[in-house]
Amino acid sequence: MSKALLDVRGLSKSYATGRGRLELFRELSFEVAEGEMVAIVGESGAGKSSLLHLLAALDKPDAGEVYLDAIRVDQLSLREQAEFRNRQIGYVWQFHYLLPEFTAEENVAMPLLARGTARPEAISAARRWLSEVELGDRFSHRTGELSGGEQQRVSLARALVTQPRLLFADEPTGDLDNRTGDVVFSLIQRLHKAHGLTSVLVTHNLEFAGRCDRILRLRNGGLRPAN
Amino acid sequence: MDGERVRFELFIAARYLRAKRRQAVIGIITGISVAGVAAGVMSLIIALAITNGMQRDLQDRLLSSTAHVDLMRIASDGISDWQTLLARLKKLPHVTAAAPGLYGQVLVSRGAKSGGALIKGVIPADERTVSGLLQQVNQGSASALEKQGPIAVPPIVIGKDLAETIGAAVGDTVLVTSPQGGLTPIGIVPKYQRYSVVGIFHSGFYQYDSTYTFMRLADAQRLFSEPDLISVISFKVDDLYKANEIGRQIEAAAGPGFQTTNWMEQNRELFRALKLEQIVTFIVLGLIVCVAALNILIALTMMVMEKTKDIAVLMSFGVRADQVRRIFLFQGLLISVLGTAIGLVLGYGLSVFGGHYRFPLDASVYSIDHLPFAPSITDGLLVSAVSLGVSLLATLYPSTSAARVLPAEALRYE
Ligand SMILES: Nc1ncnc2c1ncn2[C@@H]1O[C@H](COP(=O)(O)OP(=O)(O)OP(=O)(O)O)[C@@H](O)[C@H]1O
Ligand SMILES: [Mg+2]
Repeated sequence: MSKALLDVRGLSKSYATGRGRLELFRELSFEVAEGEMVAIVGESGAGKSSLLHLLAALDKPDAGEVYLDAIRVDQLSLREQAEFRNRQIGYVWQFHYLLPEFTAEENVAMPLLARGTARPEAISAARRWLSEVELGDRFSHRTGELSGGEQQRVSLARALVTQPRLLFADEPTGDLDNRTGDVVFSLIQRLHKAHGLTSVLVTHNLEFAGRCDRILRLRNGGLRPAN
Repeated sequence: MDGERVRFELFIAARYLRAKRRQAVIGIITGISVAGVAAGVMSLIIALAITNGMQRDLQDRLLSSTAHVDLMRIASDGISDWQTLLARLKKLPHVTAAAPGLYGQVLVSRGAKSGGALIKGVIPADERTVSGLLQQVNQGSASALEKQGPIAVPPIVIGKDLAETIGAAVGDTVLVTSPQGGLTPIGIVPKYQRYSVVGIFHSGFYQYDSTYTFMRLADAQRLFSEPDLISVISFKVDDLYKANEIGRQIEAAAGPGFQTTNWMEQNRELFRALKLEQIVTFIVLGLIVCVAALNILIALTMMVMEKTKDIAVLMSFGVRADQVRRIFLFQGLLISVLGTAIGLVLGYGLSVFGGHYRFPLDASVYSIDHLPFAPSITDGLLVSAVSLGVSLLATLYPSTSAARVLPAEALRYE
């Protein structure tokens, strides 16, 4: 196995709620190797999404360290967090979260435009990725004119257009029916292999989880390999 | 903040403004904001053009009626040997004309009606070079004042308002009573003299039309028993706005015991009132712009609330908080720039149109027969700056709250 790209050590997270502190997990440690596709499973409310937020610099842990290669993710400033999310990672949510005012190719080009890439360059990269997710004929469609599966594929293209080192997906098929979900998951799997990605996926679907290199189960504040 | 880096923010802002939205009310408020800014800017441009026009017109007419600088004795003891002095002062630099005058307070009456008046004994040919009042005689004529030698019932020219007060018309005889009469054994007694009204002038200034009364210098000297004295030398100068300095130079040349006043000092209250009026107009109409800015605030605040999830999505793929702030700041500015541009075009367009069309006014009320428009570039710049500045303030709250969105929070639940 190649070296660890993502290295998590002693990660703890809790939330202050109306009825005291809610501890999600304590002292989680795990690694994800370069090129690996890891599934995280667990019951609803176990803290899977919260964990992904910490890894993706969308939130900060109470304690512990997160490394992406040499980058100390948990200690980034707000500005560096934004830079990190733009340059190092791609994120796919359960819902497509496309911006309705923009066309498919504009949505995909957005992360590049945000970092100052010239529009023609950003758009042509967006078109390449739309073709990769088999939407080569939908460049200028508004997102509202696309089906649920197509929308999720556009959001996958948006996550990958920056050529991130790590792809996070939080129940990417959770909002889709089985057949469509299968299409999207297969696409993720294919792109993961084709582009040598490193991916961390949260899923409730054990069949999809089984198709990953490794499954980790989040339960009772701990993360253990599932068999 | 170079062009390259803000292009993204402008792109998003412009699209957000144009897009059809889920909440139609935001689009409506946005439209109202644009219209409000436009209305405010337009009203300001037009109102300022009119007050400028009024002020310019008033100043023009004032200056055509009054001398620029008046020289007199501090002790009010009259100027003797005035011919020599006048000839000398006339040659001063910046002085373009000079005229002698003997002024005095009198009562002018006809039958039972009377009115106070300021006699100006003048030499018409000279007087015309420093004041236009004698050219503004529109009933009868001032030419009788040019005659030389004694006349049994000497000629007099009075103003329109005085004529109305005492009910005098051209050809009528009026009685002028001077308190500075002759000294008699029973003390100073008023002196009476009958004059024939040969002309009535109308300058449009009540102060002049109700009190100024012209007669020949020699007749005035006889009335006030001042043989060959005058009280004032009036000057026209080549630079209106240097009247102060030129006045001081004239004082110095005239020697000790003399002082000058100028048109600005004499009409200070008038110009101060006009300036005040302009400021009040600006503030009142500026409130329209403030209300429009309030609309911008509401539209943007609602937009931020509607777009909280989208803002979080932008942030999730690396859009920074300061970029988010600029997206909404630009939206406010776009609304404001659009409204201001429309307002400027309409305001200047209507001002120019109004200037050509000459909206009629009731001259007896406004002392001017059409609405004057004098649009100025500086006003346009000032109004635009105020409009953009106020709108910028209105974007502060919404853009700051947009920049504070926490992506993980906003995207947690659908
Ligand atoms: N900001 C917060 N404040 C308080 N509690 C929170 C906060 N965010 C999450 N939680 C709680 O933390 C727990 C874990 O939430 P999380 O979304 O990570 O679970 P999850 O494993 O992704 O669940 P699901 O499978 O339903 O998506 C939940 O009980 C949630 O209510
Ligand atoms: Mg979740």
